[in-house]
Amino acid sequence: MNASSRRQFLRQLGLSAAAMPFLPALPSWAAQKRNAAPVQRLIILFTPNGTVPPDFWPDQVGADFQLKRILTPLAEFKNRMITMKGICNKVRGDGDSHMRGMSCLLTADELLPGNIQGGSDKPAGWARSISIDQEIAHFLQAREETATRFGSLELGVGVPNRADPWTRVNYAGSNQPVAPNNDPYALFEKLYGQVKDRENLGSVLDEVRGDLRTIAKHVDPAERALLDQHASFVRDMEKDLQSAGTQNLLFPPPSLEQGVALDNDGIPKISRMQADLLVSAFANGMARVATLQYTNSVGQARMRWLDIHDDHHHLSHEPDNNRDAQEKLVKINVWLAEQVAYLARKLQSTPEPGGQGTMLDHTTIVWTNELGKGNSHTLDDIPFVFLGGGLGFRTGQSLQFNKVAHNRLWLSVAHAFGHHIPTFGKRDFCQEGALSLG
Amino acid sequence: MAIRWFYAWGLCAVLAGVVRGQESAHPGKAIYSKHCASCHGKEGEGVKDKCDDPLQGERSLSSLTRYIDRNMPEGEEHLVVGEDARNVAEYIMGAFYSAEARANKPSPKMAFARLTNRQFRESVADLLGSFTPWIPPGEGTGLQAEYFQSDGMNKKARKVLSRVDAQLSFDFAAAAPVEGIHPEQFSIAWDGSLLAPVTGWYEFRISTPNGARLYLNGIPQDGDGNHRDDSGGKRQPAFIDSWVSSGDEVRQVGARIFLLGGRAYPLRMDYFKYKEKRGMVRVDWKWPQGEWQVLAAPYLSPARAAHVAVISTAFPADDASEGYERGTGVSKEWHEATTAAAIEAANQVVAKMHLLSGIKNDDPERVNKFREFLQCFAERAFRHPLDQEMRRIYIDSAFAEGAPLEQSVKRAVILILKSPRFLYPQIRAEKDDHTIATRLALGLWDSLPDAALLAAAKEGQLRRPDVLRSHAQRMLQDPRARQKLLVFFRHWLKLDAEADMRKNGQLFPGFDAVMVADLQRSLELFVEQVVWSETSDYRQLMLADTLWLNQRLATYYRIPDVVGDAFKAVPAGQNQRSGIITHPYLLARLAHPDTTSPIHRGVFLTRNVLGGILKPPPEAIAFENHKFDPKMTMREKISEMTRSSNCMTCHETINPLGFTLENFDATGRYRDNENNRPILTESDFNTLEGELLRLKGPQDVAQLAVRSASARRGFIRQLLQSAIKQNPAVYGSDFLHKLDEHFVAQQYHIRNLFLEINLRTALHSINLTPP
Repeated sequence: MNASSRRQFLRQLGLSAAAMPFLPALPSWAAQKRNAAPVQRLIILFTPNGTVPPDFWPDQVGADFQLKRILTPLAEFKNRMITMKGICNKVRGDGDSHMRGMSCLLTADELLPGNIQGGSDKPAGWARSISIDQEIAHFLQAREETATRFGSLELGVGVPNRADPWTRVNYAGSNQPVAPNNDPYALFEKLYGQVKDRENLGSVLDEVRGDLRTIAKHVDPAERALLDQHASFVRDMEKDLQSAGTQNLLFPPPSLEQGVALDNDGIPKISRMQADLLVSAFANGMARVATLQYTNSVGQARMRWLDIHDDHHHLSHEPDNNRDAQEKLVKINVWLAEQVAYLARKLQSTPEPGGQGTMLDHTTIVWTNELGKGNSHTLDDIPFVFLGGGLGFRTGQSLQFNKVAHNRLWLSVAHAFGHHIPTFGKRDFCQEGALSLG
Repeated sequence: MAIRWFYAWGLCAVLAGVVRGQESAHPGKAIYSKHCASCHGKEGEGVKDKCDDPLQGERSLSSLTRYIDRNMPEGEEHLVVGEDARNVAEYIMGAFYSAEARANKPSPKMAFARLTNRQFRESVADLLGSFTPWIPPGEGTGLQAEYFQSDGMNKKARKVLSRVDAQLSFDFAAAAPVEGIHPEQFSIAWDGSLLAPVTGWYEFRISTPNGARLYLNGIPQDGDGNHRDDSGGKRQPAFIDSWVSSGDEVRQVGARIFLLGGRAYPLRMDYFKYKEKRGMVRVDWKWPQGEWQVLAAPYLSPARAAHVAVISTAFPADDASEGYERGTGVSKEWHEATTAAAIEAANQVVAKMHLLSGIKNDDPERVNKFREFLQCFAERAFRHPLDQEMRRIYIDSAFAEGAPLEQSVKRAVILILKSPRFLYPQIRAEKDDHTIATRLALGLWDSLPDAALLAAAKEGQLRRPDVLRSHAQRMLQDPRARQKLLVFFRHWLKLDAEADMRKNGQLFPGFDAVMVADLQRSLELFVEQVVWSETSDYRQLMLADTLWLNQRLATYYRIPDVVGDAFKAVPAGQNQRSGIITHPYLLARLAHPDTTSPIHRGVFLTRNVLGGILKPPPEAIAFENHKFDPKMTMREKISEMTRSSNCMTCHETINPLGFTLENFDATGRYRDNENNRPILTESDFNTLEGELLRLKGPQDVAQLAVRSASARRGFIRQLLQSAIKQNPAVYGSDFLHKLDEHFVAQQYHIRNLFLEINLRTALHSINLTPP
């Protein structure tokens, strides 16, 4: 990073150089190692309640295809994406479709028996095996050249504050759900330490020292000695704050809008903040795998910012002939596609640190869902869109598979990272191996 | 084999005598100059690296003469004996040793101090708490429980029963919890508060094969208590979430949390069973340095509680070299800890700034209103109104051009809490009613003045003794005063000691960690019952022959007729016990794993009960039990080990006191023989007043503690130091004497003594003397 981009960076951050030493020093923030293989990254982007198939799936198969309404926000990325029809979550066993759709989505194996009763089927518990994002993160973390500070990041947008198979998509292993971080401010803390607090501190200490001087004039010598000592600690901390040491950060952390309410109506802002934080964390080499989870399976967001006042899940149950409801669902999914587009654009506009091209060339976004369609609760034809160049798949095409198990898709993804596992999730569904996507 | 360190004590000073100051050249002066001044200084002020401490104390003339005759000068004791020793004693007594001699000299200066760690945490909790309604802690009877029939995702389909449950441990097996519920699926909601007894890190653990969520010290949200599994309602985050089962096995999920003792915290638990074979749920908790136990009454209350702003930042330990914690020094670590703590507090303020300020998010005047809120915040933190300049520094400067409001609020809070005006409560040069309020709140609560006290200070009312007294009396009723007194008693009675109390399991089968926890509780109950009874009588503390026991303790200590887990006060039998002195907790605490330790017990009685001051030992010697003839009694071993005159300087005091307790083994259980040899508890004992006593047993020590003015002053001194964190001499050389006169006149009333200490020191803070 040259001097001018550093200044730019500090300006965006709203920080003086003083605050910088408190950014944690991170090995992988340093420039890319020479001769290293190109960086590959993966973002799983989850949105709930199925899609509206006629307004989602292209009618054509192959390179020459037209985007339907829901995918139009992604038009600028048409050549960078793949739509994949015919991918099915074939996992059965305990749990209703929403539960299996969610907690088996990235694990591709049956749920453990448990006590959570859905709208149908038998009650179930957590997933019984690791999710694909965690599997790949472990693989990358085990190698020095691909290891990062966090390995993976799990981000949420409007995920309710309860842990159950409807709200958890990531699993570190059997019975080990991973909670998404729902709070951009807390995530900022996690990623960038107490930068803002320390910034506050710089100006605070100056004032404190001023007042200490005023007070010290009026006290007797013994008291003054203690206050002088106090003042010297304040001075030392100020000096620490001013000392250099900013060379570790490649890209600026985003400057977040303050005071955004973490509730339903805050979702549009939270969505952007989380996307910004995700891209900046990737740019600074903190992780190469992430999940961005919008609400949850059976998600009940009320998208009042679209002038839709019913909740999403409720609308998704409405029959196909309820035109009003279907229209609202299309609007909701268009909005969700816009969120995907925002993230893609952000990656596209960021040069790959220490590498060629942009970050989107090295990152694949997998946009997915727990259901194929809301009112039928089908786990067939799950809406899968791959966007970006991280996995080296051939983009710019609309693919049609013949009811293949999604286990095979996750095998393809793992293999694309060089992680050549023979099976993933439930073995029975892996017999025909990875899908050919090159 | 027990090896423990014991010490060769240097005895410094003890009881009071009354001797007139001597005029002109006393014959002892020359002897003193020749033989004593090189170590003790010309005026007894002490000499660095020889005898640092000033030569002053409470011994009587005869006691002092005897001491010099036998022990001084060290290593050349023959130089000052007989008449010379008496002359030196008379001279120093009149010149500087006695309180009367010192009365003619200026009192030492008040120690200038920062907040102690406890004061910091208590002040921040009360500062934030002062902006929301105060809810008094409830009765510790258990939690309000509501039992429901559930129906799939709807966990509260039909309410069947409400009641108070005394503990959180249930095994329903395959049955329903109560009549009228189908055993296949049901749910229970417990609600109320947790009463945290001490300050520190607690651990909690849910065990269940079913589903449970525990909420602790959260901030209420609209969706709390929502009964549907598929609800998206906004809830507070669960402290422990074990809602989802996997198979039938019992899962254990835990978490830890920092809590301030003496406060109530909102606590809720939601639990449900759904088609599993077994219904069972238990919550265990572990106190700081405690053992795992079922969460139960008296630490649970059905009453509501408000969120407490707890600062969990770790602080470097306060200076406790004088036996009480005080904030007399600052260090880099302390500066960093208070910085981190200020940030932690600021984050808490911002997280609930609308709740605290009552200002609406869409209020067009919100920025100005937040300035007012912060000004109020600063006034409470500084214990004084802000002037123009302070408002500029602490409020206006935080509202920089264009900064988001949250940022400004946060900056102001950090600024206020990092200010010396918050951190050094007595920093203001000018003394006024706010000085009184500050002193009183610190003394009674270790915290900030509350709204009523601050208002009285603003109106200049606190100089009026009747107004001041009524405020102090009001504040004494507050749980914070109770907690502050408890903190003193815990320290005084070594209930806060961190070392474990493990005993040799072969010698003392059944004396386990649960027993230790019960013993602590037993001693605390005794103290609480005495101190908060109407008479609050110090004599009861020393003389009562009752013990608070549950069945487990009663069985071990062989006391009949106690059944169940609940504690009750029972006579300890045959005049064996005498108040705290013979409480089995202390007797066990002051003993080795295999054997008693008359030295530990004697030192405790000398220092804590009889008001003596023992200097730290010049050298440490290990007590090695295996080196003695096993047929010897402990008394014989200790007498043998300490028989040199060098040791006896102190052990002539320590040993006789320790020997009075030899009828109690290393776990505090009564015994009438040791290895089939009779136990001898009697000895001669020279009191610090110069009286020769025949001590027969613990009752004699207890009687002495009540009867001896110097012993009482020792207790008063320790209470004062814990409460006020100052050397009592700051308030005049006769301050302890006056307090003792008051104490005796008030029938040894402990709470009144605490009140009086606080009133007098508060008035003294602006140089007023009590009427």
